[in-house]
Amino acid sequence: MKNNILVIGGGAAGLEAAANLERLGYNIILIERDKQLGGHLAKWDRLFPDGLPAQEVLDSLLDNISNVKCFTETDIQAINILDKSFNAILSNGITVLADAVLMASGFDIFPAAKKEEYGYGIYENVITNQDLEQMFKQQQSISPIPRAIGFVHCVGSRDEKAGNPACSKVCCATAVKQACEVKELYPDADVYCFYMDLRMFGRRYEDLYLKAQKSGVRFIRGRVSEVAQTADNRLLVKAEDTLSSKPVRVNLDMLVLMAGMRPSEAGHKVGIQLNLTTEDDGFFSAKDGMLSLQKSKLPGLFYAGACTGAKTLPDTLHEARSAAMEIDRYIKENFIKK
Amino acid sequence: MIDFGFGISPSSGINLNNSDKDTFSKLAKMEPNVLKCMACGSCTATCTAGDFKTTSLRTAILNLQNGLKDEALEILSGCMLCGKCTMVCPRGINTRHLILSINKIYGK
Amino acid sequence: MITLLISDTFKAVTPEEIIDRYPNSYNHFVLPFVIGIVFIITYLLIGLIRILYHLTPQDRKKLLKSLVTPKTAWKNIKDIVLDCLLHTKIWKRKPLLGYMHSSIAFGWFLLIVLGHIELALFAPRHLSSLSEGSLYYPIFYRFFIWINPAHETLRGALFFFLMDFVLLYILSGIALAMFKRVRSIALGMRHTTKPSLADRVALYSLWAIFPLRLLAEGFTADLSGGSFLTTPVNMLFKTFFGNGLNFMPTWWLYSICLGLFFVAMPFSRYMHILTEPLLILFRNAGLKVRKPRKGFAEAEIYACSSCGLCIDACPMNVQKKNLKYSSVYFIRFLRRHNTRKITEIANKCLMCGKCAAICPVGVDSPAIRRAHRETLNNKTDYDYSYLTNYSPQFATHEQNTPTTSKILYFAGCMSHLTPRIIKSVETILRAAKLDFEFMDKDKGICCGRPLMLAGKTEAALKTIEANRRIIKESGCHTLLVSCPICLKVFKEEYKLSGIRILHYTQLINELIKDSKLHLSKSDSTMVYHDPCELGRGCGIYQEPRTVLNCIGVLKKAKKERDESVCCGYSLGSLTLDEKERTKLAESCVDSLLEEKPESIITACPMCYRAIRSKASVAVKDFAEAVCEHIADK
Repeated sequence: MKNNILVIGGGAAGLEAAANLERLGYNIILIERDKQLGGHLAKWDRLFPDGLPAQEVLDSLLDNISNVKCFTETDIQAINILDKSFNAILSNGITVLADAVLMASGFDIFPAAKKEEYGYGIYENVITNQDLEQMFKQQQSISPIPRAIGFVHCVGSRDEKAGNPACSKVCCATAVKQACEVKELYPDADVYCFYMDLRMFGRRYEDLYLKAQKSGVRFIRGRVSEVAQTADNRLLVKAEDTLSSKPVRVNLDMLVLMAGMRPSEAGHKVGIQLNLTTEDDGFFSAKDGMLSLQKSKLPGLFYAGACTGAKTLPDTLHEARSAAMEIDRYIKENFIKK
Repeated sequence: MIDFGFGISPSSGINLNNSDKDTFSKLAKMEPNVLKCMACGSCTATCTAGDFKTTSLRTAILNLQNGLKDEALEILSGCMLCGKCTMVCPRGINTRHLILSINKIYGK
Repeated sequence: MITLLISDTFKAVTPEEIIDRYPNSYNHFVLPFVIGIVFIITYLLIGLIRILYHLTPQDRKKLLKSLVTPKTAWKNIKDIVLDCLLHTKIWKRKPLLGYMHSSIAFGWFLLIVLGHIELALFAPRHLSSLSEGSLYYPIFYRFFIWINPAHETLRGALFFFLMDFVLLYILSGIALAMFKRVRSIALGMRHTTKPSLADRVALYSLWAIFPLRLLAEGFTADLSGGSFLTTPVNMLFKTFFGNGLNFMPTWWLYSICLGLFFVAMPFSRYMHILTEPLLILFRNAGLKVRKPRKGFAEAEIYACSSCGLCIDACPMNVQKKNLKYSSVYFIRFLRRHNTRKITEIANKCLMCGKCAAICPVGVDSPAIRRAHRETLNNKTDYDYSYLTNYSPQFATHEQNTPTTSKILYFAGCMSHLTPRIIKSVETILRAAKLDFEFMDKDKGICCGRPLMLAGKTEAALKTIEANRRIIKESGCHTLLVSCPICLKVFKEEYKLSGIRILHYTQLINELIKDSKLHLSKSDSTMVYHDPCELGRGCGIYQEPRTVLNCIGVLKKAKKERDESVCCGYSLGSLTLDEKERTKLAESCVDSLLEEKPESIITACPMCYRAIRSKASVAVKDFAEAVCEHIADK
């Protein structure tokens, strides 16, 4: 008899882990809150650093889960531990008895409207990174042709008042990628990136930065603090160019807020039912921070992806695979009699 | 005065070996927040007084760490304590009280 | 007993009715009382002279003028009777506590007044006792003057009855006070102060005074006369002790307790009884606290009754560790000259004004805090030379309709961090077809209130002067502000005669009344948060509520109007850190969500940001909410 494994979340982490566990011979039940699988990946157009289309990556992930039972538009209504197994009641009425649970609830994008001073939801031409990806994906152009566009890094990241003191890891690279894309679409537009620290830590990320510099993107080291509207409905952005120690003002036609990552609210609700511990940042805390990153303090419950903190897509996929290995070992040690 | 054909002018650089660190540690003890600044520049960008006269808490903190007391006081002298910088500081520094403390410790 | 009294009243008055036991009206037992009263009177006189000396000459003149102006003089009398004797302020909030206070204060006052009237009626010669060669005035006339019960008259019985009735009234208050010591919650107080040694001495002697008086008068009731309270006591004692010889020790004790109370008074919280009338005179004269410890402030400090109502009121009490920043402790440290503590509390306070609003004595401790901050910060350097030559280009919004009055809109520093407010105000002004100029669209000078709050008064006056010049030169008729912090200082310090200063809540209310703005009503529920500076600061409570009633269903908060809970982000506090402010914001939201409204509305950029970051329901600015309901007609 195959052991049941419940995967919570059908984003990159959930899909990759499900595919690997399926290959290892388990019976996988994957639940996803949204209509479609893929999580944030499904909403993205292209990925840094090389501009790989997100859809291609998603399609490959989906190809590998042919035998996985997927329930979309499904939540967990109740989950508890029965003997050694987990008993979950799903919102579609199905009850699942699983020997292990993989938490792959990922992240929510920071609600940019909370940063009142940036005017998201007040001014039409203030959008988020996600909005811009949607526009790219639907090949929607900005009209009229913009003369100047700005990117604000660290919106809801590295911000104690926004409740997230940590770096969201992916926004710098995303901003530089998007800046390059915008510059390609509108070569005559001035493109500005307002950053606090540019964290281009991955392989070929620096190349991306160089590409942006060469294409004429201006990098201004300073956090935007105020956005106002001008008489002709453009945006007046105030920041400090900390490198020249001068306040700068610039009129823009569009401002893109690089909204950061915060813990998934739906995942958090499941966590409460299982008494999972979180760290100050709200993300789940792993059993230990070095050797057991995929394990939780609860035997049989594992983590993969951004539910334990901001991660890039490659990191998320690695975690998904190692979580599959950990789960395999756990099942063999606890449920399969030698 | 005899003209030697050359003058001794102070260096334009900052010599951290000679900078006044004691007063800064006194400030840091009173206002531990001062150490939290990550120089993002939000305070300067939003500053009400900054629209009229260079006013920058970020620069002032750096100046103090570098032992440039007079520059720091000068750059804060236009401050109107309106509190906008406190509202925007991502590190939650109590900037208003910090400015008052800087004036108290370093001021005349 | 009663039949006896009634039958006696018809007897003719005979000279023997009054018996002077000691014609010189002196007995050794009065000594403790005399020492006490001489001490307290001397102390009061010296204190009064000290306080008057520390007032500025203008303030002294102001005070003198107010005393002879009939209007303020009448107000003085009214306030003293209502506040010091009847304690109407406490009655309004906590009736039981109000009864307790008024019974003791008003009751004691009645006893003294009635006693003197009785004395004047029955033994008028004592009123001019000095001329008759005696140094003493029979304060304890029940001891010194016996009214022969056999000769009791209607007026005698009336006074006996009244005196006993008042005594009973006081005793009921004392009983409540004792009960309160044990169970303060029963009287509606969660926290109460810990009494000092002097407080205890004064308190216990105060408690003892009236039961002892009952005993003392009870012992003498058969000789000096008594009524429904003292006579039964007298009869009771007779059956137990046989004769009235016990009365001497009781009169001694009574006198000692009075003396103790008077001596302990200046060092205890009960000093407020004597200082409050002075505070009322000062307040009605329009004096302001100028120094944190001298003059007016000293009167405020001694007028504090240490009741501890401000502990429950202080928004900082959500954290137990912050209970110590309440006004009552601040004033206690001021009395003790503990500068380190004074500074710590003065800098921490939010200056939300709730303690002053609910203070039964009306001690304005935020004003003392501000005065103390002034001693710390007023002298620090600043350079506002850039203000002198600044003359702005206003952003104008003229519409086709010719209107006579021009509005100048000052958004203020903080509103620029909440562009939603500015946008909504502009939309409303346009919808009402009003011409207006935007004073600080691009850049502006701070209103000066944050500097005032920090104690940098001199610097504040510089920014005030600069803004004042700009406003005057604009030729506007109305100054519209969207930030209550600015509103308060514009109203109090700017002296903009001829220019109306309006908060947008007031303007919108007027626009609706004048049918210039039409709103559609929905059935969504909302609650209104009173910003400190708008409500307690400027007294604007009703206008926003009137408008909100036009667009939705207004629910009540747990605490509102003058008891509204500060959002925690007040510029008043200099040292409160981010985490503590967050806690305050949470408690503010808790109070607002009492009746589970669908949205929270507020009218201050600071409150808006603070509440928005913590609330689980929609949070809207007042102008934003109004904007959503603008109807064509």
